[in-house]
Amino acid sequence: MAFEPTIISFLCNWCSYTGADLAGTSRIPYAPNLRTIRIMCSGRIEPTFVLKAFREGADGVLMCGCHPGDCHYHEGNYKCLRRYHLLQKYLQQMGIKKERVRLEWISASEGKQFAALANEFTETIRQLGPCKIKGVMETLT
Amino acid sequence: MSKETKNKPKLKLAIYWGAACGGCCISVLDVHEKLFDVVAVADLVFWPIALDVKYADVEAMENGFIDVTLYNGAVRNSENEHMAKLLRQKSKILIAYGSCAHLGGIPGLANFHNKEEIFERVYHTSESTVNKERVEPVTSYKVAEGTLSLPEFFNDVRALDQVVDVDYYLPGCPPQTERFVEVFMAIVTNASLPPNGSVVGATEKAQCDECQRKKTDNKRIKQFKRLVEVIDDGETCFLEQGIICMGPATRSGCGYRCIEGNSPCQGCYGPPSTSPDPGAKMMSAIATMIDSNDPDEIIKIVEQIEDPAGTFYRFSLPGSILRRKLIETQT
Amino acid sequence: MEEKRIGVYICWCGSNIAKMIDVGRIAKETQKFSNVVMARDYKYMCSDPGQETLISDIKKYKLNRIVVAACSPRLHEPTFRKALEQAGMNPYLFQMANIREQDSWVHIDREYATLKALSLIKAAVSRVYHHKPLEKRSVEVNPATLIIGGGISGISAALEIANAGKQVYLVEKSDALGGITARLDLSFPFLESVRQMLKPKIQQVQAHKLIDVFLNPTFEDITGYVGNFKSKIRQNGPEKELLFGNIIVATGLQAFNPEVIPEYGYGKLPDVITSLEMEEMLMRGNVITSNGKEPENIAIIHCVGSRNSKYHPYCSRTCCSTALKYANQLRSMLPDSNIYELYADMRTFGKGCEEFYSDSSRRKILFLMFDQEEGLPNISKAPQNDSSEMIINMHEKLSGEEIEIPADMVILMTAMEAQNDAKDIARLTGISLCSNDFYIEKHPKLDPVATTTDGVYIVGTCQSPKDIVESIAQAKAAAARVLASIAVVNMEVEVTTAHVNEDVCCGCQTCIMVCPYTAIHFDEEKKVSVVNEALCKGCGTCGSTCPTGAIESRHFTDIQILSQIEGLLKSEKESI
Repeated sequence: MAFEPTIISFLCNWCSYTGADLAGTSRIPYAPNLRTIRIMCSGRIEPTFVLKAFREGADGVLMCGCHPGDCHYHEGNYKCLRRYHLLQKYLQQMGIKKERVRLEWISASEGKQFAALANEFTETIRQLGPCKIKGVMETLT
Repeated sequence: MSKETKNKPKLKLAIYWGAACGGCCISVLDVHEKLFDVVAVADLVFWPIALDVKYADVEAMENGFIDVTLYNGAVRNSENEHMAKLLRQKSKILIAYGSCAHLGGIPGLANFHNKEEIFERVYHTSESTVNKERVEPVTSYKVAEGTLSLPEFFNDVRALDQVVDVDYYLPGCPPQTERFVEVFMAIVTNASLPPNGSVVGATEKAQCDECQRKKTDNKRIKQFKRLVEVIDDGETCFLEQGIICMGPATRSGCGYRCIEGNSPCQGCYGPPSTSPDPGAKMMSAIATMIDSNDPDEIIKIVEQIEDPAGTFYRFSLPGSILRRKLIETQT
Repeated sequence: MEEKRIGVYICWCGSNIAKMIDVGRIAKETQKFSNVVMARDYKYMCSDPGQETLISDIKKYKLNRIVVAACSPRLHEPTFRKALEQAGMNPYLFQMANIREQDSWVHIDREYATLKALSLIKAAVSRVYHHKPLEKRSVEVNPATLIIGGGISGISAALEIANAGKQVYLVEKSDALGGITARLDLSFPFLESVRQMLKPKIQQVQAHKLIDVFLNPTFEDITGYVGNFKSKIRQNGPEKELLFGNIIVATGLQAFNPEVIPEYGYGKLPDVITSLEMEEMLMRGNVITSNGKEPENIAIIHCVGSRNSKYHPYCSRTCCSTALKYANQLRSMLPDSNIYELYADMRTFGKGCEEFYSDSSRRKILFLMFDQEEGLPNISKAPQNDSSEMIINMHEKLSGEEIEIPADMVILMTAMEAQNDAKDIARLTGISLCSNDFYIEKHPKLDPVATTTDGVYIVGTCQSPKDIVESIAQAKAAAARVLASIAVVNMEVEVTTAHVNEDVCCGCQTCIMVCPYTAIHFDEEKKVSVVNEALCKGCGTCGSTCPTGAIESRHFTDIQILSQIEGLLKSEKESI
């Protein structure tokens, strides 16, 4: 069977989740591989969640927040940005390609952009193939 | 010794080392003259570093014969695993003693490599090795006298609770001897013990609670520095000097030994129970302290953290969410 | 520990969900999850019978956790939370799975959409297991209201509130009240004088004891939260501290500058004027060209900056009817003139407006159609001895012909656009902007004047282009919302705030610097951080910053989110 990536996405309530809802109300179809978790602000996203997602079998993790300067809580998205870069470095060390995690800004009006991002990121992960960190300890001991 | 403890039957105590450096056993020996108190209330029934008791003797014990086993060291090979399972069976209380048994410890850093890479390095490419025949350890080897066997070297290092159920964890590299004595005496005196699975001999609060350095909310970092790069005044919070200190993400109980020695905390006591992963919370906090909103500058500052995995998971890689490096050539 | 008894309700939303997702199969599968006592699918969960089923099930099966898989939680989370309350449950023991906006509406493969829905529901079930009841908190609402913007919207809202006996602070950035409405001559479609309508309103505002007007003031950051906002204002004199419970933003619009459209020559050709410049002429009562003559040929060009991907994609809504208004006024003033309406589409919606259009078409006005994408009409100076001053070249869409129109005066129906400082006001008040910099309402249909920040309302053209009637309707709607919140006295506020576990907090103080609301302070005695929950807005940034794990982001706790991740990733065969 062809590989279908499983992607966990974290969307902030005010911009990105609303943007994703707008893709829905505008009936813009996109890849069904994204599974979304709504948080209030991208500033709530912490590395633990991303690691957990990979550990439980995600092939990619997408984090979305409001555009710089537009955060509903002023600067939460910048906090997310800082964590994202350190997390990528850590993931790389752990043998997980940094391209498997992505941070993008999606505003409440960017339904079209969200759908395009979902498609494009799904394709990126499809090219990278499955992430095998899940179960790697169990099977090899 | 109180009367109460004197009249009680003596406790049977075992101490074992898995993949360990020996420091944990030394920390037990560091009770010094208090050793007499210990042996007054406890019989040491198994302790490879100090007593000539064979594995077969342990195997011969009844299940639950040992009251308390302190297992130190990680689980690296089949011998460590076998002994972990055996001692679990024979012990009423199994304590993961020290960082390695607790979360994998320093030996756990081997999880950045797989077995093949480690063998290649150790038996072939290390500078002092001459091994033209490319001899590598095998688990069994026939010689004229019979078959010799060696434990199997596993691909991964595991913490003790990834192999058997653990009753308590006594963290530290090594655990502070006073903490061991307190825990031991609590068991001896039948003091009410915390629920199974608890960390003992350490507090729920992190290092900063005890740390005497001056702390403010001004933890904005433009440049991460190594200790040699600053003139430490001995008073300012390490983080506020741009030095990564694992203090706020590490339980206290050690008496902030490193910090008092003007060296930042490295995290050997492990995280408080509120952390789902031993390094990720600190990683999040450190990243948040980066004083920039510009992606390029952030990347530059992040680059100054040479080895995030080794920094945030120095003592805890096997016990972390990801547990080991993914090496794609693995089948 | 209490036994968790979870009820799961899968909504068909008519065919909106059921068409793309096998709801029956999902209900059957969901029934197998651990702790799920009841799983059913139903045609419309948000309908009265849908909610009644939920309420009666809660009682009958002693359910203590509820999952509804339906539309976006942004739409109906409040609805179902209320239903839970009616059934005697804490409203936070509830989780929604968004299987409409983020599933059935965006996927085209029924199997994938169904599997995705199942995974979203699993995640919701895993999460809701860890939900804790949260106690509602309320704050006393300061009965004063700050209104930003003294145009027709701001004035209408101010009078509505003040006439109900409540204090209003009306802030206007220019030095006069009235806004853009004060620059209009007549209104459409009944051609009444705007001035006669507006002037008494302004006088009422100025005379009202309960309205303090601040013209051209400087004012500082607004701090606080719904019910208790604070700001400092200065208007030629000492600084004054204002306390207020609600904010109405009525900052209005600005006119599009047509200089950027090369075809129209605005700024170069003296007799190409904007609609606002036309209003000025009409108010003065004489329409003359730059040579001081009465124009013989007048062209009115629609959609200047509107409905054009190069400028603004949206329709400015009022220009078509305003253009007809000019044509009618000019026809009366200059009975011998030729009047041309150059339009892209005629959009005369609204009461009396279509009739206005058909009446106008009988008044010797020539309607010519152009296509924005094929090319705009081009205005150039006429040759020396031509009878008119300018020539307009255009492709007339209906006849398909290239035509030349003589013109002595051209009126550009310029678009409405968001104010240049829309972003600043948005930041000051915590409003979000859409891609055109208009303010975003809380819900486009169900909550059109509220914003995502409690206690902040948007009215008039700062939200989107609209006419006077619509602006006033919004102003009065917002006033009603404000008065309702004042009438309640104690208003419910955010309960999903951050909380410091004092037994774990080590006092590193990292959280203090990241709070955007300075809601965290350090308790020197206890040596721990403390959250002022009245100031906390629940973004969760401190929770994800705390290196110790001592801060709990209520309703978005680690365990809740981690369980949700687990639920999303459990393979189909694994039970949860």
